[in-house]
Amino acid sequence: MLAAPGFPWLLRHELRVLWRNSILVRTHRHVVVPVLVVALLFQGVALLLAHQIVLFLARQQVAHAIALPTALLAANINLAFLFILMFSRAITASIDVIYGRGDADFLLASPIPPGRVLAVRMLGVACSIAAPWLLLGGVLGNGLAAYGQYWGLSVYPMFFAEALLVAALAFAFVVALLRVVSPQAARRAGHSLALATGIGIFILGQAPRFVPQPVVARFWASLLPGPHGGGVAFLFARGLLGQPAALAASLAFALAGFCAVWIFLARPFADGVITAAASRPRGRATAQAGRFRASPFAAALAKDLRLIARFPGIFTQIVYRSLTLVPVAFILTGKFHMAGGMSAAVPLIVFLAGQLGLFFISVLAGGETIPELAASAPVPQTMPRQAAMAASVYATLFILALPLLAMLARAPRLVPALAAGITGVLLSNVLLGQRMPIPLVRAGFGKTSTGTAAGLILGVAVSTIWSFFIWLVVAPHPLLWLRPGG
Amino acid sequence: MDGVNSRVIAEPALMVRGLSKSFGRKVVENLDLTIRPGEFYALLGPNGAGKTTTLRMVAGLTRPDAGSISVYGRDVLANPLGAKQIMAWVPDEPLLYDKLSPLEYLEFIAGLWRVEPKTARARADELLETLGLWPHRHERCEGFSRGMKQKTVLAGALIHKPQFLLLDEPLTGLDAAASRLVKELLRAETAKGAAIILTTHILEVAERLATRIGILSGGTLLAEGNLAALQAQAGLEHGTLEDVFLHLTTAQ
Repeated sequence: MLAAPGFPWLLRHELRVLWRNSILVRTHRHVVVPVLVVALLFQGVALLLAHQIVLFLARQQVAHAIALPTALLAANINLAFLFILMFSRAITASIDVIYGRGDADFLLASPIPPGRVLAVRMLGVACSIAAPWLLLGGVLGNGLAAYGQYWGLSVYPMFFAEALLVAALAFAFVVALLRVVSPQAARRAGHSLALATGIGIFILGQAPRFVPQPVVARFWASLLPGPHGGGVAFLFARGLLGQPAALAASLAFALAGFCAVWIFLARPFADGVITAAASRPRGRATAQAGRFRASPFAAALAKDLRLIARFPGIFTQIVYRSLTLVPVAFILTGKFHMAGGMSAAVPLIVFLAGQLGLFFISVLAGGETIPELAASAPVPQTMPRQAAMAASVYATLFILALPLLAMLARAPRLVPALAAGITGVLLSNVLLGQRMPIPLVRAGFGKTSTGTAAGLILGVAVSTIWSFFIWLVVAPHPLLWLRPGG
Repeated sequence: MDGVNSRVIAEPALMVRGLSKSFGRKVVENLDLTIRPGEFYALLGPNGAGKTTTLRMVAGLTRPDAGSISVYGRDVLANPLGAKQIMAWVPDEPLLYDKLSPLEYLEFIAGLWRVEPKTARARADELLETLGLWPHRHERCEGFSRGMKQKTVLAGALIHKPQFLLLDEPLTGLDAAASRLVKELLRAETAKGAAIILTTHILEVAERLATRIGILSGGTLLAEGNLAALQAQAGLEHGTLEDVFLHLTTAQ
């Protein structure tokens, strides 16, 4: 038994709350088996990948990856990306544990020292942001270790060290931010950073299409470490590749950063929590003239469209999902040629329609906090569901209007198949999403939105199946890409 | 319309016979209840007495295991939509969309009850004015206090001029001024002929507002009537409602 209210006891409580609030267990009590199955699946794939890495090292005739400047650069780039991804997640997680969950002021009102509360919260955030990456990176590390490359296991301490540093920085940033803006605005900042990161990574991936090859090569060459391993800038990278001294130094550096923030933040943290807890969102004014509708369906549809439009993070969520439109735009404008020509855009649009439909219906299904209101009204029980489906389809088609018009102009012969694909995928996914909404960010502060990871996986599968089916219909040689040189 | 109104006045507002419901254990047992048009009925009882379950069954939200419910002659079980048309239900937790403004919320409710748009708009304006929500009609409800949310929900309940109101703890969280305002509004509704059934733990509210009071405990109606009748049933001639309530519920 851990003695209350000591540090380990408080940490156990914090981790338990975080675990129960995580996507995996939010709606399912029995998660250990599916998680183990997925982990094993990942481990299998990682073993294949690790085998390729081992073969690559053998071809390079080096005993250890650290000898390769490109390996150091790759490690550094991964750590940098991870840092940004962790940071944006840590901001929203920090706001949640300070304000959203609503128990920080309660804990601070207890005789537990604020410093202990802060340290536990920061550690909790570090664990929650490290967990998914430890799972992903860990399986690769295990795979490398299975082939005798034990340096791969350094992924565990290094990812956790990075998470510690990121959690501390995010906490400092959030506490500072909460002194000047509301928790809602601070949360938006986190979302915006995540969005910018996603777009940045995507653009970087697309860069070779726009930037001449010699320029790209020069850019990467300039980032390579020098003959002495790149100095401090590559400290974490060397740690990730298992160099013992660099690993120890990285851990010490992360721990020092964590402790520094912890020591200097205890007082402002307590003040920040109190300020944040007292903050209530101002009722934002809406320009609405009061257009009363005669039919229940029209009223429910109007309400659902408003709830979709006002869902927190709606813009970022749509932009994320709509990144598929970028290659579609390239194909339709003739900037990018691929096998199948214009028909290559059709499955992409169908896939996007499925994902958007699933997202919108999940917003409505997960955010329907008061189903009893419509249930107490003199309307058929199925009407609210039908209105929600109609609103989701309407919102999806609104976003897809432009690519659909472009397709009509550029390749009208593909439109019937496209329309059939969109109809099929939308119907499938809105029906699925209504029963199994995907997990979304919280609908509001202090409220946990519903949603299941199974809905997300099934939804992506449905979108993929429909887009593949449509590809088979529209492409002149749909399986050409499977052939070598195809 | 006249035909409907005359039938509405001739029938009891609520007639419940042999109502039973269990969720593993008996929550409501063989309940009989009759409320007349224009009557203000307060349903009292300790926590877990079955008040909310009773109201939910009358509102058509929970199906009873046995018994019958009719509202102005409309069978709630056989014709739920017809019965819901003339009812409004206000639960203890405000049924409100945080992301909608009060005006948008009323627009939605009016649509659900098929209120003619022009009438609905005029009624919405009137209710928002009366309840002091007019300056906030375009603000989203997420920033509202508990009292403001409760008033918005009440406006929603009244927009379709229901003949029968089911109110579950409607005064929780209201300040003194808002509470008085709501009480006056409810009195005005009964004066116009609407019937109200209200559950509350504030005995003073029941004593001042209700024409009849029912005391429910363990899913059974222990006593019913005005204060004098309840005093007589409890054998406490000069006791307060609190004395009577505690005597009846603890004796049981």
